[in-house]
Amino acid sequence: MTKLAQWLWGLALLGSAWAALNVGALGLELPAPCRDVLWPLPAYLLVAAGCYALGTVGYRVATFHDCEDAARELQNQIQEARADLSRRGLRF
Amino acid sequence: MATGTDQVVGLSLVALSLIIFTYYTVWVILLPFIDSEHIIHKYFLPRAYAIAIPLAAGLLLLLFMGLFITYMMLKNRGLTKKAQ
Repeated sequence: MTKLAQWLWGLALLGSAWAALNVGALGLELPAPCRDVLWPLPAYLLVAAGCYALGTVGYRVATFHDCEDAARELQNQIQEARADLSRRGLRF
Repeated sequence: MATGTDQVVGLSLVALSLIIFTYYTVWVILLPFIDSEHIIHKYFLPRAYAIAIPLAAGLLLLLFMGLFITYMMLKNRGLTKKAQ
C-alpha cells in the first residue's frame, strides 16, 4: 500500500470516529465539556501541526551553522568572476 | 550558530509558535473544563472564533499562495516568449 493510501486510510478512520462520536451514533453519552473539546479537534490538530512546523523552521534558522570564511571567500570569487567577465565584454 | 538577524528571526518564530500554541490549547482544550464563572474566560473570545479565525487565516494563506504563483507564471511566460 502506498504512503498516500496509508495516510488517506488513517484520515478516513479518524474522521469517521470523530464524526460518529459527534453525532452520537455509538450511543455514548459524553459529558458536555468533552463534547465541547471534541468538535473543534480537527481544527486544533491542524493549528498545532502548523505551530510545530513554524517553530521547527524558526529553530533550525536560529541554530544553522554559518561558515563566515567560506561566505567571504565565495563573495571574493564572485567579484573576481564579474571583473573578469566584464573585461571580456559581457555586460551585466 | 547562526548570527545576527538570523538568530533574532528564528527565535522570534519559535516564540510566536509557542504563544499561539499555548493560547489555542487553553482556548480549545482547557476552557470547557473551567467553571463559566471563572475570571479567565474574560481573556478569550467566544469559542466559535476558535474555528473561524484559523479557517480564515488558512483561506488567506491559500489566496496569497495562488496570487504569488500566478504572478510568477505570468512573469516567466513573458520571458520564454522573448527568448524565442
